[in-house]
Amino acid sequence: MDANEILGVAANAGDEEIRAAYLSKVKEFPPDRAPAEFEKIRDAYETMRDPRRRARAMFSAGESCAPLVSLIEGRGVPRIFAGPQPWREVLKNK
Amino acid sequence: MSPERSGIATNIRQLIVDGKSKTALDNAKEFHKEQGSAESEILLIDAYLARIRALFDQNLVVEAKSLIALVRERFPSAKERLDNLDSAASARGGDLDELLKPLNDPGLSAERRAAIEQVIQNQVTDLAPLACCAALPPEHGLRQAAAAIDRAFGVVTSGPVTDQQIALPEISHRSPLANWKLLIRAIACFYRNQDKACEDCLAAIRPESAPWRLVPAMRAMLGATPGARLAAKPAVHLKPAEAALKSRTSGSLGEFRRALADLDHAFAHAEQPAQVFKAVRAAVRECRQSAPDLLVELRQMVCVRGEVAGLETQRMIVAVDGAPRRDAIFFRDLARALERTGDSEDLMRACECWDCFRQEAVREGWFAERSLEIAALYLHMAGLLGRMPAKLLREMQRQFGGAVSRESNCFYFPEELYARACLIDPHPDAFSQWLRWARGNSIVEAENVARAWSKALPDAVEPLLFLMEEAEKRNAFPTALSCLEKAERIDAVNSTVRAARLRLLAAAALQHLQKKKPNLAAQRLAEIGALPQSRQGDRPAFLDAMRVLICLASGDKPGASQALLEVERGLGDGLAALIFISGCAASAKRKDLVFLPFPDTLPEQQRSHLPASMARAIALAADIGLTRNFQLPIEYFDETEAQFPRISGSLNVEQIRLLGELGIVSEHPELAWAASAAGFDRGGPTEAYFLLLRARALPEGLDDRYQALTAAAAELGRTHRDMEVVGRAVEAGRDLFDAVPLSLTADQARDVLRKEKASPAFPSGSSPGPDYSDLFPDNLCMCPACRGKRGQSSDPDLDDTFNLDADELDEDEMKRTFFENAPKDIPREILPALFEVAKEAFFRGEDPMEILSQIFLEEAPARKNPPGRKNKKGRRG
Repeated sequence: MDANEILGVAANAGDEEIRAAYLSKVKEFPPDRAPAEFEKIRDAYETMRDPRRRARAMFSAGESCAPLVSLIEGRGVPRIFAGPQPWREVLKNK
Repeated sequence: MSPERSGIATNIRQLIVDGKSKTALDNAKEFHKEQGSAESEILLIDAYLARIRALFDQNLVVEAKSLIALVRERFPSAKERLDNLDSAASARGGDLDELLKPLNDPGLSAERRAAIEQVIQNQVTDLAPLACCAALPPEHGLRQAAAAIDRAFGVVTSGPVTDQQIALPEISHRSPLANWKLLIRAIACFYRNQDKACEDCLAAIRPESAPWRLVPAMRAMLGATPGARLAAKPAVHLKPAEAALKSRTSGSLGEFRRALADLDHAFAHAEQPAQVFKAVRAAVRECRQSAPDLLVELRQMVCVRGEVAGLETQRMIVAVDGAPRRDAIFFRDLARALERTGDSEDLMRACECWDCFRQEAVREGWFAERSLEIAALYLHMAGLLGRMPAKLLREMQRQFGGAVSRESNCFYFPEELYARACLIDPHPDAFSQWLRWARGNSIVEAENVARAWSKALPDAVEPLLFLMEEAEKRNAFPTALSCLEKAERIDAVNSTVRAARLRLLAAAALQHLQKKKPNLAAQRLAEIGALPQSRQGDRPAFLDAMRVLICLASGDKPGASQALLEVERGLGDGLAALIFISGCAASAKRKDLVFLPFPDTLPEQQRSHLPASMARAIALAADIGLTRNFQLPIEYFDETEAQFPRISGSLNVEQIRLLGELGIVSEHPELAWAASAAGFDRGGPTEAYFLLLRARALPEGLDDRYQALTAAAAELGRTHRDMEVVGRAVEAGRDLFDAVPLSLTADQARDVLRKEKASPAFPSGSSPGPDYSDLFPDNLCMCPACRGKRGQSSDPDLDDTFNLDADELDEDEMKRTFFENAPKDIPREILPALFEVAKEAFFRGEDPMEILSQIFLEEAPARKNPPGRKNKKGRRG
């Protein structure tokens, strides 16, 4: 996972946004309770706060040669607009 | 009431609470028939009301209304309670007039209004009748709100909506229809895949309200109820209508997934482009049906793959049903994919794409023009161009970059990219990369880069040291000393800076001697003598040795004799002193000043001690930095080699190392070999170093043994934490094919060491030494990329014509094969010349067929992978 994805910020996020995201993540995964996650978050923050490393990470983000199937990995069932009728049927029948 | 009767009444109430209204009513009738009291009548009415509600819940409205009429007739005291139920029954049946008519009465009590609104909130499941209820005027707020919600409900369940479409400002949170507003927001979030927000809206809907009837079904459609404040029913108990809703709103990705897998397979294995395009069309079709929001991303991914696979762009655009969105992400993915093809020409295409990425990223606000990111990107692009063969780069620069200015096509020119990067972000790493690249081109260019670096970052020592070393190489010692002075002002404690002054002054003094200017040499010597570091270790002996040479050059023989004695006393070894002075004289190209006797004329004691004397003299020369031109007569090396086995036991490990290095430098591999054997005898942490020394001393052609030795040295070095040996061993192992070197386990490394200890003899044709073939994989990957990394041609068929191993090259056989396979229209008389051209091209690492094609102005045969590079030569460098 890319550094910006670990912190949950956009690749072009600003310094303040990156710091806020880092502090929020550290609260979620404190080092004493989730050391592995904290390590990843720390590394990601180190990358993101150094503009040169951040730039390099930006250029290497994503996986251009990943299988196309990865496009829908982790994606739930698609939701279809069926119109109001089936919804009303449920409302009518208690 | 007796306790028994009280128990019966309690049971009836419990039945009502449990929802068993029919039994409760039957029991209550019986009880009232027996009792006939006011209490039993109240209990009976409660049972009737529970039964009526149950009938409503089962949608048996007619039956419920009949029962209301019956109870009203029999029990007038229950009129008010029945009125409310009647209104609710009317509301459920869609007849809202009766319910809503009182709302027109200005004197309606607050309690009654609240009761009516509660019925609207809890019983009205269809808002269309409310929106057009004749009992209320059209401008009534309730009608307006119901109409707005009904409209929004239709829209939100039929397609994507904007926030504005579902804002519903006319419905306040106090409205009896407020829960509908929450439901509409929940549905919108559901279709936007904002599951958390959807659940939050569902959790806020009141459980007694009519819209709540959709909550269990929606939670089942979400698949979970994270953070729900309300108890959710498990999805498995859905009623038929709920199951139907879930089924109609849930699609499937199965077909789309299969189509994508087929497309992946087609890209990897299809023999014809048409097969790929067919798979692309199928995937796009499925995407439109199952996940239309992914279409943009899919188009981009497919087009990137198509570009890399060399498929026709226009056909691909037709297949994906539209051009891909050419944004920053598209260009970034395309550039990265091109970087990885292994084809050198694609590196330049990747640079073009990175430049497009730069422009798009700036436009999209990823970063600003002339930002650090842009500088990092320029460095990355320059690095890519640096990976291209220089000849190919020049050729492509002429082909593509020549027509327009460098300004607009900077991505073809590494020097332009480095210059821009360093201008935007003058960082030492950037200049260092630029300098490294420039050194591979020309020293003049590298010096210009170093000067630019020094100008941009005046406190940087590295460029000054580079300029100093380059000046030193061309014997421009004043220039070198000038650079050193600047470096000393910046960082006087830098180890390279500190070591440089003594070395430069010594070299300058020797240069004066060479130019027969002993007075100037003496001045330099005085400067050296003033340095504190000149008094460390054996260095005073160097000063005395220089005095010997200066006195000899000035004709001062007594002075020379006196100084010679000082040298001998300093080194404690007369022969070592003489060898050292002789080496210094050779460095000054004044061998005429010193006569070194032939080894066979030396007394036996000195001869047998020669290896130690040589080691002492060479150690001092290395300490001063006199590595260039410190030449000694070849007879001394021969004699050292001969005497070494006899006295190796009396030498320390450092002396053995020095003699080993001497053997390598002076091209006496047998001496280095003997040193490695002596080093093995010492054991301990230096074994890794001596394994590497033995690898360097190996004769040409023993590649398996060379690789095994370097790999074992690297592994043992790791065990002993000798990172210098590890680095040198890994580099030496890579040197063969510029590829990933052989890697051994600790046990395998120890096994190699054991075998080498058991093989002290220098290898020869008849006795090549231990067999390490078991350490190498039997089946090498024959893909073009791996063949290229191993230094082989990209096409295995070429191996038949141009055998890779130059040592085993049968040129006549190659020539015969080449002549047989040459096109018939080529004149026979020029074939020998063509053969030579092709052979040279092959050993330069280029594709001979491509070269021949260029000669005949034909289209070069398509070869996607880089040709093999020259190998096996000069690996010991």
